[in-house]
Amino acid sequence: MTEGTVVTETGSTSGRVNLKTRSLLTRENKLNVVPVRHWGRGVLAVVSVIVLISVVLGLWTNPNIQWPIVGEFLFSPAILKGLGTTLEITAVSMVFALVLAVVIAVMRISPSRIVSGFAAGYVFIFRGVPLIVLLIFVGNLGLFFQNFAIGIPFTDITFWSVPVKEVMTPFLASVIGLSLAGSGYMAEIVRGGLLSIGRGQHEAAKALGLNGARTLRYVVLPQALRVLLPPMGNEFISMLKASAIVSVIAGGDLLTVALGISGSNFRTIELLIVATIWYLLVITVLTIVQYFIEKRTAER
Amino acid sequence: MTAETQTLVRPMVSVEGVDKWFGQNQVLFDIDLQIAEGETVCLIGPSGSGKSTLLRCINHLEEINTGRIRVGDDLIGYREKRGRLHELKEHEACHQRVRVGMVFQQFNLFPHMTALENIAFAPIKILRVPKAEAISRARTLLERVGLAAKADFYPSQLSGGQQQRVAIARAVAMRPTVLLFDEPTSALDPELVGEVLEVMKDLVRTANMTIVVVTHEMGFAREVADRVVFMADGRLVEQGEPAQVLDSPQNARTREFLSAVIR
Ligand SMILES: Nc1ncnc2c1ncn2[C@@H]1O[C@H](COP(=O)(O)OP(=O)(O)O)[C@@H](O)[C@H]1O
Ligand SMILES: [Mg+2]
Repeated sequence: MTEGTVVTETGSTSGRVNLKTRSLLTRENKLNVVPVRHWGRGVLAVVSVIVLISVVLGLWTNPNIQWPIVGEFLFSPAILKGLGTTLEITAVSMVFALVLAVVIAVMRISPSRIVSGFAAGYVFIFRGVPLIVLLIFVGNLGLFFQNFAIGIPFTDITFWSVPVKEVMTPFLASVIGLSLAGSGYMAEIVRGGLLSIGRGQHEAAKALGLNGARTLRYVVLPQALRVLLPPMGNEFISMLKASAIVSVIAGGDLLTVALGISGSNFRTIELLIVATIWYLLVITVLTIVQYFIEKRTAER
Repeated sequence: MTAETQTLVRPMVSVEGVDKWFGQNQVLFDIDLQIAEGETVCLIGPSGSGKSTLLRCINHLEEINTGRIRVGDDLIGYREKRGRLHELKEHEACHQRVRVGMVFQQFNLFPHMTALENIAFAPIKILRVPKAEAISRARTLLERVGLAAKADFYPSQLSGGQQQRVAIARAVAMRPTVLLFDEPTSALDPELVGEVLEVMKDLVRTANMTIVVVTHEMGFAREVADRVVFMADGRLVEQGEPAQVLDSPQNARTREFLSAVIR
């Protein structure tokens, strides 16, 4: 920075500062800059601190919130079991969603109009229908389908059949709902990843004698998945949060358990705080893991 | 290779009456070209004259609209049965491509594999060469292209010249009978061109392969080519021994092109 710019910048604040700066410059022959004041930032900082303190105090000193109850339930077996179920539902759904997403994304870029059209319809439906609606549908599948059956379509021939009501536990319904909804979003992300791999890679693979499936498996997917890691991390976190919605079909997750307990002791806020603490804790851990994975892949 | 031996030996690559259209745009016009086994042909011509397209047709990366292309005994892309052409199934087409290697202008190495993996990968997966054998052969090839020390480097850690040498080793590792080069040095900084050309010269001298090189390196063509073929506007305009085509071109288009490239 030159002397000239210092003078013009400080000059805009006040004449006093301007003179002082100039005299310092001549005396010590060294830049001694009075920085521009950012009034807006200062005001925002003060407001932020006030808001923070009042929220914390409001929660902490609130006579309607009994913190000992939060402490009592934070590590209670029921809550921990619910947390375990939440993690389980999320992890299993994520795996299914990812597999479905890859299949749908590959179908979506198929040259066959019927195949890609089917995939487009899939994405449209499962991205469009609200998760809560989807979950209630799946949870109540037994109301409009009697049996799961494997057989020849459009005939009465079946090889294997089981009543829907027997197998459709809340856990399974939760996993199916979350997987379907998640795969709709993820299919689009995966498709973007697949399309990001240039024509040259496809041609190089082809020239070596790889067929389409091998090109996908050994050349395109490994590169695409690397691109997809950060957005998939975000999807995982979204899915963890979305898993709370399975409480509407009593999925046995953290929120289901918390609400269940509050139903008998009427300490709704305390149990919601318990659930909130766990959600934030898990998300913090996931965010840290994601940061390190991203850093490692970026190094390549 | 003289015209005499060409008529005696069945050509390794035979392009017969090939037309190629991109939509409404015809880019190859009635191309006829026979290349003998072991011959090295340099394909030259102005940009947009259809050189890359011709190479890509030979490797069946593009479909032709009329004519036939044969490599060895294979009719590229089709099976002829009772006077009709049947499109090949995917695995048959892949089988054909294994015999024709290709080196690209932009290298197109697989960025998620090391230099060694780039070379050993296809022999293991496609040719079913035992892993240890494929890797030791990949090392030998790396040594031959002067990159033994770079085996575990990723493409992004290599210079353009090094990447192209790995790409050449990758193509050679499949033991193709025909090797196609599409402007292998055009994407390189000038000081890196030499090292790639040296590797290619070594290949021409020692490997028993039929080689087609699209290039603007006239010195290279003069030194290694058995034949130089000049293309313009989608047509084969002139061909012959390097000295003949490069020093005393018969066709006006050839003369014009050569005076433009030889600075
Ligand atoms: N995939 C393509 N689609 C449409 N036109 C193409 C395609 N590839 C090449 N062309 C056209 O074909 C002509 C020949 O191109 P190319 O074979 O790349 O020439 P060269 O390699 O001699 O420079 C050019 O006019 C080019 O625009
Ligand atoms: Mg070209």
